Amino acid sequence: MAELETALRALGRDVAFPPTPDLEAAIRGRLERPRFWRRPLAMGIAVVVVAAIAAVLAVPQSRSAILDWLGLRNVSVVRVEKLPAVPARGRLDLGRRVSLDEAKRRAPWLLVPDRVPDSVWLNESLPGGKVSLLWGTPSEVRLLLTEFTGHTYIEKVIDGDTRVERVKIGNAGAWFQGPHVVMFQDRDGRFRESHARLAANTLVWQVGKVTLRLEGGLTKDEALRIARTAS
Amino acid sequence: MERARRGDEGAYEELVRAHQGIAFRTAYVIAGNASDAEEAAQEGFVKAYRALGRFRRGSPFRPWLLRIVANEARNRRRSAGRRAALSLRVAVDESSGDAAPSPEGVVLAGEDRERLLEAVNGLREEERLVIACRFFLQLSEAETAAALDVRRGTVKSRTSRAIEHLRESYG
Repeated sequence: MAELETALRALGRDVAFPPTPDLEAAIRGRLERPRFWRRPLAMGIAVVVVAAIAAVLAVPQSRSAILDWLGLRNVSVVRVEKLPAVPARGRLDLGRRVSLDEAKRRAPWLLVPDRVPDSVWLNESLPGGKVSLLWGTPSEVRLLLTEFTGHTYIEKVIDGDTRVERVKIGNAGAWFQGPHVVMFQDRDGRFRESHARLAANTLVWQVGKVTLRLEGGLTKDEALRIARTAS
Repeated sequence: MERARRGDEGAYEELVRAHQGIAFRTAYVIAGNASDAEEAAQEGFVKAYRALGRFRRGSPFRPWLLRIVANEARNRRRSAGRRAALSLRVAVDESSGDAAPSPEGVVLAGEDRERLLEAVNGLREEERLVIACRFFLQLSEAETAAALDVRRGTVKSRTSRAIEHLRESYG
């Protein structure tokens, strides 16, 4: 028996494992707490409010005016009097870093604007998958374009200071000006407080079954200009 | 480890560097393909980082990490709905190996190695995994138990059963 064990150990040296990928680099982006955007638009807000977002979302009666006039199928907008306290530097849940080619292979519906992103990320743990094109680094995000299809959608909780307006782009679009809270459903279809974060100015639009959200320190016109190049 | 526990990302990156090879290979043995293994190892490291607060001070990091990574690998294999076919293959290009041949290297001739690997591939999944962990990855019993989510006693008995079966089929 000992001979066989020795042989097995020797065999182990000859087993061809694929080369270990650079996990360190991929993980680094996910350990850092993202410092969100160059413009410190939202930093003041985080300390303002105490309400827990779970409480707001768990009780339907406490939801005031759900904005369904936007016509965005996969986006649900909830208006509250005060924004709940969530981290301004919350998790981006980017998933793993992939090449643009791999992202296109895994998500053939992906739309890419004319400027080349600094990195591309794929999160397959969300229903239907989510692709993020990122400019800057995960810790210093300058611009983030997130795309997904199917059942995944966002809840945005906006207060009186957030402006929401319809914009003409794709099948339907909306511009969110000012701080608001963004959440994605997890794989169980639940919204979790730990997955909420404070978002910057955001353009959300739909092209066919794809929902896109472009977030960053942009003006509406700048955002629309970039968005219209996505194909 | 202590620095990482206190939230020092740099210290955790050192841990990642030190353990990424074994984490990836363990995930590969379980998940059966490189892309699921990469995802599982990556996710495992991130989850381990977030759970560092629950890590028992003074206990070894590696079995704890491997338990988390292996669990991620199993989830991926299950959700992909396929049996993890062992796609290990014998390295053909000997000259590419940068390590010096081990003393055991001479134990098996080429075709014997292929036959033995075939025999391992033909084992029941739980026995194949215990052999891969103990002999190919050279994990300790405790580490194997953590990775396969079984007790140490089970690792022992499963290993000797697997060896028995190998002797029967390999001869």
